[in-house]
Amino acid sequence: MKRMFVLAILMLITFLFFIPTQSLAQVSGGTVTYAAGADPDNLDPANAESNPSEAVNRMMYENIAKFDPKLKIVPGLATKWEQSKDGMTWTFYLRKGVKFHDGTPFNAEAVKVFFERMIGPEKPSRAGLYVPFVNSVEIVDDYTVKINLKTPFAFFLNNLAHSASGIISPTALKTLGKDISRRACGTGPFKFVEWVHGDHLTMVRNDDYWGGKAYLDKIVVKTVKEDSARVMMLQSGDAQLIVRIPSEDIPRLEKDPNIKLDSTETLRVLYIGINCFKKPFTDVRVRQALNYAVDKEAIVKSLYQGRALVSAGIVPPLATGFFSVKGYPYDPEKAKKLLAEAGYPKGFKAKLWSPQGRYPKDFEMAQAVQQQLKKVGIDCTLDTMEWAAYLAATRKPPEENESELFLLGWAPSTAEARWILYPLYTTEQWVPQGNNRSFYSNKEFDDLVNKFTRATSKAEMDKYLKAAQELLVKEAPSIFILVTKETIGYSKKLQGVINSPLELTYFDHKTYLEK
Amino acid sequence: MGRYILKRILMLLPVLLGVSLVSFSLLHMVPGDPAVLLAGEDANPDFIKALRKEYGLDKPLYVQYFHFISHVVRGDFGISIRNREPVIKLLKERFLFTIQLSFLSILIAGSIGLIAGVISSTKQYSLFDNLSMVGALFGISMPIFWFGLLLMLFFSVQLRWFPAGGKGTIVHLVLPAIALGAASSAVIARMTRASMLEVIRQDYIRTARANGLREFIVIYKHALKNAMIPVITVFGLEFGYMLGGAVLTETVFSLPGVGRLMVEGIFQRDYPVVQGSMLLVATTFVLVNLLTDIAYAFFDPKIRYE
Repeated sequence: MKRMFVLAILMLITFLFFIPTQSLAQVSGGTVTYAAGADPDNLDPANAESNPSEAVNRMMYENIAKFDPKLKIVPGLATKWEQSKDGMTWTFYLRKGVKFHDGTPFNAEAVKVFFERMIGPEKPSRAGLYVPFVNSVEIVDDYTVKINLKTPFAFFLNNLAHSASGIISPTALKTLGKDISRRACGTGPFKFVEWVHGDHLTMVRNDDYWGGKAYLDKIVVKTVKEDSARVMMLQSGDAQLIVRIPSEDIPRLEKDPNIKLDSTETLRVLYIGINCFKKPFTDVRVRQALNYAVDKEAIVKSLYQGRALVSAGIVPPLATGFFSVKGYPYDPEKAKKLLAEAGYPKGFKAKLWSPQGRYPKDFEMAQAVQQQLKKVGIDCTLDTMEWAAYLAATRKPPEENESELFLLGWAPSTAEARWILYPLYTTEQWVPQGNNRSFYSNKEFDDLVNKFTRATSKAEMDKYLKAAQELLVKEAPSIFILVTKETIGYSKKLQGVINSPLELTYFDHKTYLEK
Repeated sequence: MGRYILKRILMLLPVLLGVSLVSFSLLHMVPGDPAVLLAGEDANPDFIKALRKEYGLDKPLYVQYFHFISHVVRGDFGISIRNREPVIKLLKERFLFTIQLSFLSILIAGSIGLIAGVISSTKQYSLFDNLSMVGALFGISMPIFWFGLLLMLFFSVQLRWFPAGGKGTIVHLVLPAIALGAASSAVIARMTRASMLEVIRQDYIRTARANGLREFIVIYKHALKNAMIPVITVFGLEFGYMLGGAVLTETVFSLPGVGRLMVEGIFQRDYPVVQGSMLLVATTFVLVNLLTDIAYAFFDPKIRYE
């Protein structure tokens, strides 16, 4: 009897302990206004090309496999998967009881429709994620699908977790046709309501969400182009979350007791591309000298006030397949020596291009690089161009391309090393066909990229990945500078915001707004 | 009068043809490719090729221009490259908004400008005159984005009276309308003052006063009506500019108007959107000018159009 009594008391205490914390912490309800810097371009995941689109799509669509906040691959709409020994077949076991926003059940058929659209004649803009690798899709039963590949592919799951691989309701795809680009229909915790171009996009809670109803009732994503206007909207309470905070405004916001700032390391490496097709940059010693001549530590410290990380190579630390490589320390003497060896003891004149306002502090960084290069005798003229013209100028074929040194940033949307090394530096990817704006070409490197891409075991893959990254740093086809950090700000009442290293900020069903 | 209006409206056609030709060639002369831009740094070559084909960008320029014009004649302005909406729908949404903002703005600018101008002219070199003319100088010289941000900082962040931008109710339009109208009210005030000063010295005003009319009637009926011609010209021009889109105000206050549609269209090389909005803006400007001319005849019966 006494034991029963003690037990009852204990239970009561536990009960009391639990209830209030639960109800105090997570409250249902509320509308969140999210001020983004630009309008989404497309709500069809397979054709979306910009971060604002991907961020809203992440709230309405889900993938078979997804990234966790640290970019590890975790189950999404599939609960588990297997890869065959030869690496040619993947089997996915799908989650049961999931429904699309239009009521269509999620099953093997929906997954089949997704893959067949990606590799089929429609050719969505992100078809490149699957066309080179996927051969066919088989439905094993209602909740099991088999994907047959053309060749083993080490980063297949990363592609599945890419924003472009959000699964669309097959019914909506059929009935909406091309209009799917302007209305979304997925399985996510939030449902599409309306999109007024240049103004806002509204989503509401999906009451049938398989993971449980979301806490938030409604999300309004507003397009607010002007940086200072976004900051003021957060301060005035007109917005609960803002992205892309200009660094000048950070100290002021840090002092505001109602606002929380969150700075996340991204996957974006800012680098200065070198046109390896042109003299004197054909000489590896010149390219190495350029790398020794730039003081990255100083740039990160004084220009970015620590809101960036020095990068030794082109692969950022958070990407799958990153290997720590020894980069180039700041050593102007060594740079001069290398230049002398290459036949330029007095240095030379060069052109340096940079966009302005595309990346955080891009032009200021180019100015710093210009000054540092001058110290070793490389006299650069610095020019900026409007973004469209910049992309056009750096995309010209080698014979017509007038670039020499050009600042750019690269972030792999698949969060893995291949989508950096392959497009930026392999021979078959020279612009205008691909994205190798440096016209770097090295057979050994091409071979290594090919080998790790087709690897079937992790050990084998790692071996080639590491070798490729080491070779690239040695060959120095770019001046590797830094990894950016993305700072967002939100009301202290808003909890559970996801600020992904993919430069995407979004909410899930667990995000809530304190009363 | 009817024939005159019809003639002026017909004149629109060559104007629009010229505008379309100039905007088309300028747009295509500027380097940059909408498909490459849309795809960003990690462009997919197949996608670029497909998009070029879909929008006919792979065809010779004269073919593209002819295609554009022949569709515009049928009321089809094409589809935005950026967000795949029909351009006509975007233009309609944005223009309705721009009209609201412009009306409110010209209303504020007009009433402040006219009243300040009239009082200044009747009390020349008084304290009020000096203050309002200094104010007008401020209004003209102040960069609109700076003034807009100041208004926001004070009325939204500090006082929390008005929302810091965005579209919504009329409350959302107050700050942008003031920011946009500030320069116009200054111009209108100065013009009203100058024109009134000239009219007040005319013989018929003296006659009116000598007849014992009340000063209020003399100023607001006899003088103001005759002083209106140059003021209306300014009014029309300012209103035309506002309807043509106020990019800076729209950007600062995050408003979806025609100005931002056009300027963002240019940055994104969204050819159909830019061409469509150029035609719309040109049409509005011509029509506002026409209305101004008609208004002349109303204020000054000596003016007749044959």
